[in-house]
Formats: sequence, structure tokens, C-alpha cells
Amino acid sequence: MGVNLAYFPPVICGISFILTVFFTRKAPLISSLISVFAILSSFILFIFILIDFLSPNLNSIDFSIDWIDVLDTRISWGILLDSLSVTMLGLITLVALLVQVYSISYMKGDSRFGWYFSVHSLFAAAMIAVVLVDNLLLMYFAWELVGLGSYLLIGFWYEKRAASEAAKKAFITTRIGDVALLIGIILIFKSTGTFNISSIFHIANNGGINENILTISTFLIFLGAMGKSAQFPFHVWLPDAMEGPTPVSALIHAATMVAAGVYLVARMMPLFSLAPYVLDFVVFIGLFTFIFGGTMAIVMHDIKRVLAYSTISHLGLMMLSLGFMGIASAIFHLIVHGVSKALLFLGAGSLMHEMEGETDIRNMGGLVNKMPITAITFIIGSVSLAGIIPLSGFFSKDEILLTVFEKGGILILFLTLIGAFLSSLYMFRLTFITFFGSLKSDNSKIGESPILMTLPLILLALLAIFMSALLLEISTFKGFIFFISGYKAHLNLLLIVFSSILSFVALILAWFIYIKDSKYLTDWFKLNMNCFYKLLLNKYYIDELYQYVINQIVLRFAQFIALFDRLVVNDIGVDKSSLSVKSLGLKLKFIQTGKMHGYAISMVIGFLILIFTWAIL
Amino acid sequence: MTINLDLLIPEILVGSLAFIILGLDLFLKSKYKEYIAYIAATGLILVLIFSIIPIWNTKANIYGDILVLDGYAIFFKAFFLTFGAVLILSSKNYVGNNFSYIAEYYSIVIFTILAMMFMVSSAEILTAYISLELLSFSLYVLVAFNRFNNRANEASIKYILLGAFSSAILLYGVSQIYGHLGTTNLVQIQQALSMNSEMSLGLIIGFSMFIVGFLFKIGIVPFHMWVPDVYEGSATPVTAYLAVLVKVAIVALFIRVLVVGLMPIAQDWQLILIGFSIVTMVVGNVVALIQSNIKRLLAYSSIGHAGYILLGVAAIGTLDQKGLILVDFSRLIVNGIILHLVSYSLASIAIFLCIDIIFGNSEEEQIDSMKGLHDRSPLMSLLITASLISLGGLPIFAGFTSKFYLFNSIGTQISLWYVGIAIITSLISLYYYLYVIRKIYIDTNKDKTVINLPILTKGILVFLLFALIFIGIYPNILMEFIYHASESLL
Repeated sequence: MGVNLAYFPPVICGISFILTVFFTRKAPLISSLISVFAILSSFILFIFILIDFLSPNLNSIDFSIDWIDVLDTRISWGILLDSLSVTMLGLITLVALLVQVYSISYMKGDSRFGWYFSVHSLFAAAMIAVVLVDNLLLMYFAWELVGLGSYLLIGFWYEKRAASEAAKKAFITTRIGDVALLIGIILIFKSTGTFNISSIFHIANNGGINENILTISTFLIFLGAMGKSAQFPFHVWLPDAMEGPTPVSALIHAATMVAAGVYLVARMMPLFSLAPYVLDFVVFIGLFTFIFGGTMAIVMHDIKRVLAYSTISHLGLMMLSLGFMGIASAIFHLIVHGVSKALLFLGAGSLMHEMEGETDIRNMGGLVNKMPITAITFIIGSVSLAGIIPLSGFFSKDEILLTVFEKGGILILFLTLIGAFLSSLYMFRLTFITFFGSLKSDNSKIGESPILMTLPLILLALLAIFMSALLLEISTFKGFIFFISGYKAHLNLLLIVFSSILSFVALILAWFIYIKDSKYLTDWFKLNMNCFYKLLLNKYYIDELYQYVINQIVLRFAQFIALFDRLVVNDIGVDKSSLSVKSLGLKLKFIQTGKMHGYAISMVIGFLILIFTWAIL
Repeated sequence: MTINLDLLIPEILVGSLAFIILGLDLFLKSKYKEYIAYIAATGLILVLIFSIIPIWNTKANIYGDILVLDGYAIFFKAFFLTFGAVLILSSKNYVGNNFSYIAEYYSIVIFTILAMMFMVSSAEILTAYISLELLSFSLYVLVAFNRFNNRANEASIKYILLGAFSSAILLYGVSQIYGHLGTTNLVQIQQALSMNSEMSLGLIIGFSMFIVGFLFKIGIVPFHMWVPDVYEGSATPVTAYLAVLVKVAIVALFIRVLVVGLMPIAQDWQLILIGFSIVTMVVGNVVALIQSNIKRLLAYSSIGHAGYILLGVAAIGTLDQKGLILVDFSRLIVNGIILHLVSYSLASIAIFLCIDIIFGNSEEEQIDSMKGLHDRSPLMSLLITASLISLGGLPIFAGFTSKFYLFNSIGTQISLWYVGIAIITSLISLYYYLYVIRKIYIDTNKDKTVINLPILTKGILVFLLFALIFIGIYPNILMEFIYHASESLL
């Protein structure tokens, strides 16, 4: 019964978007309530669907109604429900719900309060559609809508130049991947004749797709995923995306935008598994991004930037796992990370809310006494992401390490552990600087945030602690890993011990540097690592490199194109043709004199033309 | 010859309904006269339910091949009754406020529906001509109904003179055809044409005149000149009527005449119709660009849509090497045409209803006065937007689906180049549709008085919105009915 409800979540959110845009523009509070109600009912529907799915005889359902069916073209509105999409549905609706509730308080008094919630509905509808649809064409539509939603939300305060720049950056960077994705989808359609995902897998498994085409299209699809999931070298948009309201960052980093890329690769895994070169590429990109993001997160001073680079790094970890076909571990890490990261961003928002928009961690410190709920929940989130046993972040990381160890060998495992060490280090650094030590700002008015903001924090913190319970077997539910991939989870004790030790080393190191402020260590770092530090602080100069490339090559080329565009395309092509269309319209209008005899004459002329053509033919 | 009057019950009932309404006018007190609209609409729906649905699967000839009853005719009869009821309900407020003879208005409207029902059933060209004239005469009256309005008078005079001119041409064509072939029955015309391969000049003139008569009524360039003037001058509900039901009825008749009667000479008329349709698509959509009056704009846009449909009609006439019609593909095109007629009708009714609420009986329906409409009536703004986008052919509305079906099947039947022209002109049309939407949402207006909609109007608007979206995302239920219609035709 429940599965038939799967059409409703995206539709409800879409209707909420229409209602709030068209009818309640003058009543922002009602808009927000409609939006929250829509996402709440989606979440409730998810629970119904999940209950159905937990019955053991249900694996995957694909149901659809035809949209267009003419000759060979067949497009349908279809839903593909399996454990993967149900999981994603849960993550998206839960995080979006909490973020929206939080936003009611956070965005209070904003001049575009209603519009904010409208876009949230659109964003949620699009993202839910991405994970539920059963064909690539609709998925691409929804995928683009996700891009549009992120553009609108990141640039929500578009009066701020940085915000509109960041929105553009996010849109254009992900567009590059989107174009690749579109080409990939078209290539697949050309060789299989269908958009339906299950049919494509079926055809591909029977060798229906040329091997080269398969490799190229899979690669292109992965480029699309890299754009959305902010993998190197497309990662530049994500740190800037924090210019949007902080709850938006929570949404983008946890459940919507970046999760789309990971989901896409997981969903298309049967194709990837037939393209081993692409899988190697996925491993490489994932591993590189994991370490690369982690190194930058260590030195940032802006709390949201630290979190952003941490997201990039963890997305790399998920991609790494996907590269070894570890869907279950990647998705498990996605949801655990999503919950923790939403918690951290909402916590950061709570800090900023009380500190009048301050984001520099050097100006914080000692906040643990002032804002106990925010502080404790934030610490839970960071400890979970740092991978300290027994929080859920530890188990999800461990699952991935296990996949890497089994499929990748010792060298890659070693590199992964370095990344894991970095990720523990920067999380502890962030926590220690922000909440411990002495109170930097003398603002004594700082207090706890309102209940609508702390409630989501508490809920997310509880999830961050107890999420690992999903791995356990409870009656018919055989654990999350089994739920997704169908094989049983197991543990490697050596790996657990080793990675725990690494995390604790990171904890102690961070404690010495940032709490004890050990002279010896800091001096050593200053002496030996200065050039490194500078490199990291400037994000490897990648933004500068892009800017240089854009200035020197793209803009030069663009200037040439612009000249061509202005002279040829615009003046002759567009203006000429639009003017000629318009002047044609004006000329034709003069035929319409309003005088009867003119009309009759034109009829006679038309009639004569008809007769003569016919007679000559 | 036995006459089975059972099959004519729908027509008899609709005719009686018209007379009943005329008679009611004598007895009803004037304060109850506003209910006549409900009586008329209910009557039409009852006719649909109790007399059309029971004969849904019938296929028969009546009166010795003068009338034919098949799935095609029945589908369109149902279409006319349904949309006639919707149009009557949506014109209720306008008619009540502006016309002094309410019952006459509705009874004439019902007479036009009767005429259309005969048109789609006619199996020979004289019957077709006579029912077409019944339709035209009623329409002349309807256009001039607002007789103290100069614009309406001008429109009516133009319509009646040009209409008479075209009727004369049509009738002369009929007489030429009869003179050369000795029959007016469509099936016999087809047999006669397929027997002798050479066409005499007289016959060519006859068929040309016959086709010109139809092209005039549909509003194909260069026989379209009356369309903008009449659309602009008539009262808005009458314009809606002309743009929707009348156009659909004539297209339906035209398709039957061509497919049944003129199929053996399909190669000749196909090329001619393609030529006319291209000119029509271009002129209609290009001239619409520079209109400042919304009704004229929609008039030109409807000319453009007539062009798409005529291209589809032309595409039906593709023959294989043996000179036979490609039944499967032609059915697809007929499906596309009918679906497009439905989606075009839904969108047009919605827009014209909104226009007549916004402007009422004022003289100038300028697009500029729709500025900032969103602040005044969000529901109407949404409806106008949805309908215009649907007419422009973007998903998720009915217009996208119908254009997709239509263009796709045209593309497989005749050349893709013609489809290219159709798509480019659609693109041009988006400009002026979006221009109106821009006025509604982006421009602001000092006048922010909220327009209060009667509950009936709101109901119709919401119904139309749902219909537009429903057909846009799930056309299959409607397609079942349309298959039924096209199967019996070909």
C-alpha cells in the first residue's frame, strides 16, 4: 500500500511551491507554514513507504504512467523504489524538514521570508524527484531544478555582491558537469533507445552497449556527479556557497545538492561496474579530494569554510568507496555525514545568530558556558565526524575503510587513513578554538538560541549518536549494509583499533596545539611549515589559477567571440532577424487595412493562386 | 428506406432544448432569467449523458447516406456538448451584465451546437453546406448581439459580407463538383475520383472553390482578414466561442471531407495545404508580435494554431506507392490534431474567460492594462500564465503534449523541414505569450483593487487549470477516446 504513495512527496512539495509563489505572496508566515507542512507530510509518507519496504519480500519496484507514447518515443512518469531511493528519500525529507523548522526562527524578519520558503519547497521537490524517478530524462530535469534551487538559495541575499557572485559560481561550475551529464544521457539513449534506468542496466548487462560508448558515457555521467558533489577540480563553488543563509548551507551540504552526485554514481553503479577505467578514475578523484579537502580545512579561520572543506573531503571519501563499488558504505556514510554536517551547520548558524553574524573562529572561544545546547550538540557533531568510537561517524568511516582495505590494498588504505587523520584533526581544532579557551569577544549578551533552533539541533545530535544502530540486526531488518547491498556487514578488529588510535592521536595533537598552546609544537610548525601553511590558506591558489585561466584564456577568447557576436550574431543575426520579423509584422499589419474590399481582394488573390498551382500541378 | 430516428435523438433533443429556452423566456420573471444559463448547460450535459453515451459504439448511416454516425462524429458531438456547456457557464456573468436578451443568446448558442453536430455527421457535401450555413447565420447574429456597440456592428457587417462571399464560393464549388461527378455523396465522390485519373479544369476549379470556402471559415492566410476584426469586435464570450467551438467544428468537417471524399487526389491538395499552412503559421505568429490589444493578439495566435492544424491535415494525405493511404500513420496524425484541438480549446477558454472578467464591456482590451494583475487576482494570473504557456507548447501543460504528438507524427509522415518551421514559429509565439506574462508579474500598476471572482468562475478556472495540467502529464485517458474517433474515420 505504502509504495503507491511515492508519487506524492515531490508533488506535494511542488504544489507547495506553486501555492506559496502564486497565492500567499502577501502572507509570508502562511507560506512558511505551507512549506513546512509539505515537507512534513513528505517525511510522514517516507515512513509509510519505509514500513512497506522493511517487509522482507520487497526489493525494488518500478511503476510508471505513460506521459508521451507516440511511435518510438516513449516517456513515462515513473518511480523507481528500492532501498537506495527510500534511504535517500528519508535523508532528504528529514534534513529538509529540520532545516525549514530551524529557518522559521533563523530567517525571522527577513524581507523575503515567504520567497525563502517557496524556494525551499522547489528545492526539496526537485531533490526528491532526482532520487525517485525511474528514467534519466526526468532525472535530468529534476537535476537542473536542483541547480536552479541552489542558485536561488545561495544568492538569496543577492543585494550582497559576494552572495550573487557565489550563486553564479555555483551555477556555472555545476553547469559544466551538467552539460557532460546531458551528453552522457543522450549517448546512452542513442545506443539503448530508452531512458528507463532498469532497462538501460538490462541492455548494458547483455552487452547491448558498445564498450567505448559505455566508458565515455559513464565518464561523462561521473563528471556530472563531480560537479554537483564538488569533487576536485569542481570543488571551488562549495566553500563560496556559504554566502547563502546558514540553514541553506546545512541543506546543501547535508542532504540535497551534494548528495545528488553521490546518489547518481550509486544509482548508475551497474553501468560503472562495466567500465573499470572509470571506476579507477572515481577512486583517484575520491581519494585525492578526500586528502586535498582535509588539508585546506585545517587552516581556515572561517567556521563555515572549515565545514565546507570538510564536506568536500568527506564527499571524496564517499566517492572513494563508490570507486570500489561499496555502495552501502558510501550511502551509509552519506547519511551519517549528512546528519552530522546538518547539525554542525545549524550549530554554526546558531552561533552566528547570537554573535551578530561573526564567522571567524579566532573571535570566538569559551562559548561552551554561554550556549550549552549549541555547544554540546556541536561537539557531538564534530566528534562524530572526527570518527571517535562509539559515535556513528566512526562506524560509517570504518565501513568505508573496510571496503578500501578489501578491494584496494594497503597503499590506498594508508592514504585513506592519512585523510581520516586529517579529518579528525580539523574537527578537533574547530571545536577547541570555538568553544574552549577564553571568551574572546566581551559581548555578554550572548545566550542560547530560541527553541525552534535548538530543537533540530538536539534531534540531529541524538541521530548523530545513535545512527550506528542502523547497522544492527533488528528482527527482519538485517542491518543497513544488508538493506542496501544484500550482503552482511562484518568487522575487522585490527582496522578498528588502528583507526581509533589515529583519531585519538589527532585529538591529543589538537589539544596540545590549540588548548595548551604548546610553544614547542607551534614554533616547530611555524618554522617548518610556513610555506605550506600559506599555500593551504590560499586554497592551493586554485581559485587564482581558475581566475587567471579565465582572465587570460577564456576572457580573451570570449572577447573575440563577443566581437564576433556583436557584429555578426547580434547585429546581423539577432537584431536584423528580430527587426526583420518585427518589420515584417508591421508590413503585414498594413495589409490589414480594415477595409472590406481589401479583404475580398486578398481572398480572390489567394483563390487564384490556389487554382493556378493546382492546375499547373 | 427505413429511417432509424433513434440515432438522431441527440440532435432532436438539442434542438428542443433551444426552443424550450426560447419559450421559458416568456414565462420566467426577469429576476430568474439568470438561471437560464444553468438550464442550458445542464440540458447539454444531460443530452451528453443520456443520448450520446448509449450510442457511443454505433456506426451507421442515416437517411440514406445523408448523415453518418461513427466514432469520429460521436466524439466531436460529445466534445461540442461538453465545451458548449463550459462556455455557456463561463459566459453567464458577462451575458447577464451586458445583454438584454438573455434567453435568445443561449438559444442561438444552442442552435450553433446543433449545427455543429450535424456538420460532423454529414456524409455528403450539401448537408455539410447547409449545416455550415446554419452555423454561420447563428454566428452572424451572435457577433452583432451587442447591437448598440459600434465595434460589434462593424465586426458583424464584415463577417456577414465576407462570410456570404465565401459561402458563395463554397456553394459554387459544390455545384461544380456535382456537375462533373454527378454526386454529392462523399463516398461516391471518392469512387468517382479514383476511377478517372485525369482531372478536368472545371473539377479543379470546383475543388479549389470548395477548399477555399473551408479555409476562409478556419481563418487560413490569406483568407484570414476577418478574424482579427471579428474577434476584437465581438463580445468576449462570443470571441471565445468563435475561437474554440466553431474552429474545431469546421476542422472536424474539413478532415472528414478530405479523408473520405478527396483522398484519391491527396497528392494535389497536400502540397497546396502545406503551402497555405506555412504562410499561415508565419503570418499569424509574426503579426501577433506587434499587437497591443490582447484579443487581436489571441486572434493572430489562433490563426497560427490553425496553421499547425492545417499542416497536420495536409500530412494526413500522404499516400504510399499504390496510391493508398498509410492508415497507421494517418491515424496518429488525426490523434495529434484532435489532441491539439482539445488543448487549444482548454487554454483559449481560460484566457478569454479571464479577459472578459478583467475588461468587462470596456472598449479597449489593451495588454498594458493587464500590468500588475498578480496583485489584483492571483488565480486569474496563474490561469492566464498556464494557458499562454500551454499555447506556447511548454511542459507540463497540455499544449506541450499535444504539440509533441502532432509535430512528431507530422515529422514521420512528411518532411521534418515543415516541422522545423512549425517549431520556429512556435518559438516566435513564445515571445508574445511571455510578453503578456511579463506584464502580469513584473510590471506594477497603481490600481491594486482586488478583482473578486464569483464562485462559479473560480470553479471553472480551477477546473480548466486541472484539465490543462492533467492532459499535460497524463494524456492517456483522453487518448483512448481519441483513438476511438480516429479509428472509425480511417
